This record gives sequence, structure tokens and C-alpha cells, in this order.
Amino acid sequence: MHEMSVLSSILEIVNQTAKEAGAERVTRINLVIGERANLVDDSLWFAFSLLSRGTLCAEAELNIRHTRLSFYCATCQSNYTPPIDNFRCPVCHQIGQITGDGREMLIESIEVAD
Amino acid sequence: MNTHTVKVVKSILANNDVVAELNRRRLVEAGVVAINLMASPGAGKTSLIIKTLEALRGRARVGVIEGDIAGSIDTEKVLTAGAQDAVQINTGGNCHLEANMIQTALESLDLSQLDLLFVENVGNLVCPTQWALGEQLKLCILSTAEGHDKPVKYPEIFAISDLIVLNKMDLVELVDFDRSFFYDSLKALNPTVPVFEVSCRTGAGIPEFAESLLKYKQARP
Repeated sequence: MHEMSVLSSILEIVNQTAKEAGAERVTRINLVIGERANLVDDSLWFAFSLLSRGTLCAEAELNIRHTRLSFYCATCQSNYTPPIDNFRCPVCHQIGQITGDGREMLIESIEVAD
Repeated sequence: MNTHTVKVVKSILANNDVVAELNRRRLVEAGVVAINLMASPGAGKTSLIIKTLEALRGRARVGVIEGDIAGSIDTEKVLTAGAQDAVQINTGGNCHLEANMIQTALESLDLSQLDLLFVENVGNLVCPTQWALGEQLKLCILSTAEGHDKPVKYPEIFAISDLIVLNKMDLVELVDFDRSFFYDSLKALNPTVPVFEVSCRTGAGIPEFAESLLKYKQARP
């Protein structure tokens, strides 16, 4: 939905970081994206292929690691990651406490060649 | 050729967050409480602003930043309803407001003449949640006609909001809105968030909501 806008922010940070590191080009960008960040991998890759042209990232691989929404159920004393439309514990069907909101949008690291 | 890894560990929207922080400081220094109003189209964002303007007439000076894809209909409406000042942002297709748009809009407002500033985001339950604007309060409006399952379908907006307004309570019986389903899923995402049940059409619940904003502002002179 807004992957173009997100991708231009990514490229701004990555190109700046690569320049500061004296890199000739970026070979890989490692992102962490939560399942609830509302970013679609295919759209990110599509935006990347358009916006990376002519930058240090033109030939880089865009690698995406996903995190999930997770809960803790006090009754069952266990962690669970519910499906997209139901927050209930799969065992006792109560709604637990959120332990991870799955909203991560991070640039973890980049790999560069010099 | 050598390759090596450079650690970044930075939020993708770090650059937006820097501008949002500048906006926030500017607003706090001017003693203006800014409220980021988020909801789907038709939930009642502009109606809530208008009703709140009427409820606070003579007691608080309220400014409005209107974010829309196009047009200035809402800006004209809120000025007619008694807003101290209003400025329109046309995003030209963008699905959300970003901090730099607010930075520009703040240039054309006299902050010394305002107590509260409503920032009406683009009608959308998804995108606005990720861009901080510099607001002190995030407010989500849901209308009963949209259905009780919205916190489950769009969890982020309900998880990050500081206030929730449940609008169109006058329709609650007609649209089969299941309150216990709504409150159960909302509490799972955001256990302590205050919820104001209102009807912008009948005016029910508006005084309580308006008073709570005024109280929040009075605690931050």
C-alpha cells in the first residue's frame, strides 16, 4: 500500500550508510519486518527494483526476516502465536497478554563491497 | 574485492521520526496539544472535530490540520464551525500524512493562538499508524457501522492509540455491533485505553469526550 514510500526511506538510510563506510556497492540489505507491519514482500521487492536503479544498491539482494505477533497465556503458562483473525489461546481459548507486537520495521545490517 | 557487513539496526522510518520529534518539541514549547486523528473514511473524523469545537466554544482555541487526498471541503467546514485556524494538506494520492507535511503546515499556523490542534489524517486504518507526526495523542475513531471485528482485522491502530472513540452509538442496535467481542479484542491489544462511546449525530457522549481533552490540555499549560 505504501511500500514505495517505505522503500525510499530504506534507500536513503542504506545509501548514506554505505557511503560513510566507503563502500563501492551494496551486495545485500537485511531487513526485519513484522507480520503486522502491513508491508507486502512482493511490493517491497517491486519498489526496490524500481527505486534502487542508479544507486549503490542497484545490484543488492533485499533479504527480509519476519517476526510474528505473539501472546502469553497466563492460564496455560505458555507462549503462542495466533492466526491472523483470532487472538485466543489455542488450548484454553482465553485472550492472553501481548509479548511481541509484530510491528518491526528495521534495517538490521547491510553487506557492502569495497 | 572485499565484502563485509555493516551493522545498521535503525528503524526504516528513522528520518521521519527525527522530523516528528522536532514537531513535537515545537508544539510542546508553544503549549499546544496535538491530536493525530485516525480512522477509516466515513467513521466521523470531521464530525467529531465539529462537535468538539461546539462543545469547547469559548473555552479552548482549536486549530485543525486537514489531511486529504484532494479538496478543501473539510477545512471550510471546520472554520465555519468555529475553528481558530485551519490548514489543508493535499497528499495527492499518498495514503497517510508524514512528519515533514506537518512541519510545513505548522509554518502557516500561529501556535501562540492555539490550545488544541487536531490533525485529521487520511481516512485509512493501516498506513497512518506507522508515521509519527509529532502528536501528543493518537486518537482512533471507529463507528459501530464498520463492525465489532475491526480490532482483530486492524490490530495496530487499536494497539497504539491513546484514546478510542466509538462513534454512531445511535446505530448500535441496527448494525448488530457485538460490544463484548469488540471490548475483548481491544483489551487484548491495549488493556488500559479509554473508550468514549459517542454519537456525533445526536451529540451523546460528546461533552465527556471534549472535557477529557480539555483536562489533558489544562494539565499541560
